[in-house]
Amino acid sequence: MNESKAAKTLDVRGEICPYPMMLTVSALKKLTPEDRVLEVVTDHAPALDTIPTQAARLGFTTDVQESGGSEWRLVLTRIAGAGGS
Amino acid sequence: MATFAAAAPPAVTRNAAQALTAWAAAAAVFVWAHGTNPQLSMFWAFGLAFGFVLQRGRFCFASAFRDLFLLGHGRNMKGVLLGLAVASVGFGLTMSRQVPMTSLGFDPPTANILPLGAHTAVGGILFGVGMVLAGGCVSGSLYRMAEGYVASWATMAGLMGGLLAANFTWNWWWSASMADAPRIWLPRYLGHPGALALTLLAMGATYVVVLWWEHRSGMVLPATREPAPPSAGVADDLRALGRTVFVRGWPILIAGAALGGLNVLLFSAQEPWGFTGEVGRWGVMLSTALGFAPPPMEGAAELPGCVMVPTDGALANHMTFQVGGMFLGSFAGAVGAGEFKLRIPKQPVRYLQSLGGGVLMGYGAGIAMGCTIGAFFSSIPSLALNGWAFAIFLGLGAWIGTKIISRNA
Repeated sequence: MNESKAAKTLDVRGEICPYPMMLTVSALKKLTPEDRVLEVVTDHAPALDTIPTQAARLGFTTDVQESGGSEWRLVLTRIAGAGGS
Repeated sequence: MATFAAAAPPAVTRNAAQALTAWAAAAAVFVWAHGTNPQLSMFWAFGLAFGFVLQRGRFCFASAFRDLFLLGHGRNMKGVLLGLAVASVGFGLTMSRQVPMTSLGFDPPTANILPLGAHTAVGGILFGVGMVLAGGCVSGSLYRMAEGYVASWATMAGLMGGLLAANFTWNWWWSASMADAPRIWLPRYLGHPGALALTLLAMGATYVVVLWWEHRSGMVLPATREPAPPSAGVADDLRALGRTVFVRGWPILIAGAALGGLNVLLFSAQEPWGFTGEVGRWGVMLSTALGFAPPPMEGAAELPGCVMVPTDGALANHMTFQVGGMFLGSFAGAVGAGEFKLRIPKQPVRYLQSLGGGVLMGYGAGIAMGCTIGAFFSSIPSLALNGWAFAIFLGLGAWIGTKIISRNA
């Protein structure tokens, strides 16, 4: 992981299913190969199931962090060697 | 993921206090309603239970269908199927006591055995498109309203408008499709055991198709469950239980089975779970008050389920208490888990999408005589063919809806 580069953040708060997942997928697809991490902020609980599934398909692991007040920060990290297609 | 500490953090205490307040209000309404009419308090209690389970399980009929096409996974559909199976066994047993002799030609009076015709197909498609556009069906939008999703209030307004439009066009549909449409109750042709066996077999087959579909689309499901912390005694066990029930989301299969079981209990007590009839009644009351009442609906009085009951002028009935209970039960579930939050979409187009989806769902539910609950989750367990037909066209509509939102993401 390249820690020197600030992770990109995607704010999908206020969005309802399936948009948090769809917007995340399109953001992941737009990442350059240098981008290792995308942080997604959501307040839609069902997205905690849908985003990790789709992120895994694109070669990313998901770490879910509760930030309280019904908001979550999902840290999506590219699995080493996985392509970004 | 935050671990659960022995001393509860302030947020948990605050959530618990809010939830207790909501449950205390629910209990007060129950006591008052019970003194007025025990039927009202019973439906209130059922509403609370349905709402709580829907919210805790994040149970979403819309995503059950949509995610098959959008994500290629059937996680929620499996929960729906289990709920249908549980309800079918319970409904089957209840109906076999209501109508022991199926050859006599009588249908169980309260089961959702509805006319099956073109209106079922058109209604299913419209409803399927609408629920995908709105991001939730009727029950889903109700518990999202209680969770603080502002756009879901637009969906509910659209629903009322769509149901009212269906009211105004009902008599056309009645003569074009409904009047001569058969009401097919499977036990009349197959006997009680045969009809139940065929229904369960069809669910099993659907389950296999869902599994095949998931593998075909390269399903990947990362593990999301955290391991349970070690327990030091009964107090720890109870705390963990409380967290499982009130804070963490329920596994979808548990929620599905619970909803199916509640539906059986409600059916044995009076009638199957339903919803849209009440929202339709609000629309009729509102339009009547504004001076443009819809015409009397032909044949509606003889139909079971969610067919809109012509209003008798009463402001509230048992269904009002059930829908109100569902709202408060969802709200109590949301605040207890710390999941209540006013969620305001940043894109104004989302309100339009929610409203439009609501209108489509309302019109669809109006002519199909029920929503994903009345025409599907209560119809298939009624061992009625119209439930399966509605489900197929619901799936078709969800597929069309998925195409639309994928284009305009």
